[in-house]
Amino acid sequence: MKLERHEKAYARWLAIGARLGFAALVASFFIYLFDLIPPGIPPTELPRYWGLPVGQYLAATHASTGWGWVARLPQSDVLNFVGVVILGATSIACYARLIVDYAAERDWIYVAICIAQLAVLATAASGILN
Amino acid sequence: MLDPTLLPWWAWPLLLFAVTFLLGIVAVIGGIGGGVLFVPIVAGFLPFHLDFVRGAGLLLALSGALSAGPSLLRGGLASLRLAMPLALAGSIGAIAGAFLGLAMPTRVLQLSLGIVVLAIAALMWATRHAGETLARTPDRWAAALGLSGRYPEASQGTIVAWTVHRTPAGLAAFAVIGVIGGMFGLGAGWANVPALTLLMGLPLKLAVGTSGLTMSIMNTSAAWVYLNEGALLPILHVPSILGVMLGARFGVRMLKRIEAQTARYIIIAVLLIAGGRSLLQGFGI
Repeated sequence: MKLERHEKAYARWLAIGARLGFAALVASFFIYLFDLIPPGIPPTELPRYWGLPVGQYLAATHASTGWGWVARLPQSDVLNFVGVVILGATSIACYARLIVDYAAERDWIYVAICIAQLAVLATAASGILN
Repeated sequence: MLDPTLLPWWAWPLLLFAVTFLLGIVAVIGGIGGGVLFVPIVAGFLPFHLDFVRGAGLLLALSGALSAGPSLLRGGLASLRLAMPLALAGSIGAIAGAFLGLAMPTRVLQLSLGIVVLAIAALMWATRHAGETLARTPDRWAAALGLSGRYPEASQGTIVAWTVHRTPAGLAAFAVIGVIGGMFGLGAGWANVPALTLLMGLPLKLAVGTSGLTMSIMNTSAAWVYLNEGALLPILHVPSILGVMLGARFGVRMLKRIEAQTARYIIIAVLLIAGGRSLLQGFGI
């Protein structure tokens, strides 16, 4: 069975994004765990906070919401969010690529679906709804 | 909820790893995602708040779906064309669900989680012997979107043609599944597959693969909301992702030795216990 060109590309981009994101997630976690880079909240203090609802946790730790964590880089606890962002951006990159392929095939319904999906993902990622 | 001072801080991620390793084994043998077991069990029996457990549950499901996606597509076991419109409906629902879940009081959320988990157990019980009722002709929407194709059926060594019907109902179902998945961090495999097979008439094997692909997009949407709301704790989600992924690999090896139906009964029992525990927490017991 022959795969379509855009399915091959989607699979390739998905594999790259998943590997990169997963590697970043795990590497940054061990950096945090073994205190290789100073964290914002040391893991030894976390048991005091992890049972709190997120609102109380944010108030108690002064942790940031939205993209505020970027300003706290390279603190090792927020370094982990780089991996999360790579995982989250993978589908966005895949859809951006799909638009080109579907437009080349003049498959306008699927171009519209791609644009709508990108708009939804970009809105969620931007944090403007939060 | 357990007292976090019962163990030194470093023992909790290790315990989490051990628990999720077992969940990964059971989940892969039973053919469901890890998120649906992870959230009620970890929130019910370990000292982490439900907000962070739901965020971790979504990342767990997302990592699994992203890892499996490429090989499912390359093997022809998932249809990107079918996944795209369903994922669009599902991801809008997932974002709405994530906001709804983060705005709800913890007690109400625990109570609702208990009800949903018990309903999932009932759904698994009701569909345990459900056969395939394949769609023969596409409905108008499926025809317009070109939702048909072929996939390799390795067990018969043949190429099987597929299409779907009841597409509008399928889209609505995925939107609802998205809301529930985003609200409780449950992933969506537990509902995607029955929606694709029983409602839309897709062959089971293709439904499992396509469900994984839609999950990678739906969970991405909700995961962004949890990240932006500050509801992710690396000490919770990284050991869990590692545990479930390694457990799933181990589970694949055990697949030959344990019958899927037996694993399904184990999962139903675990869901009943976890759902009951969540209900009790919701009632403050």
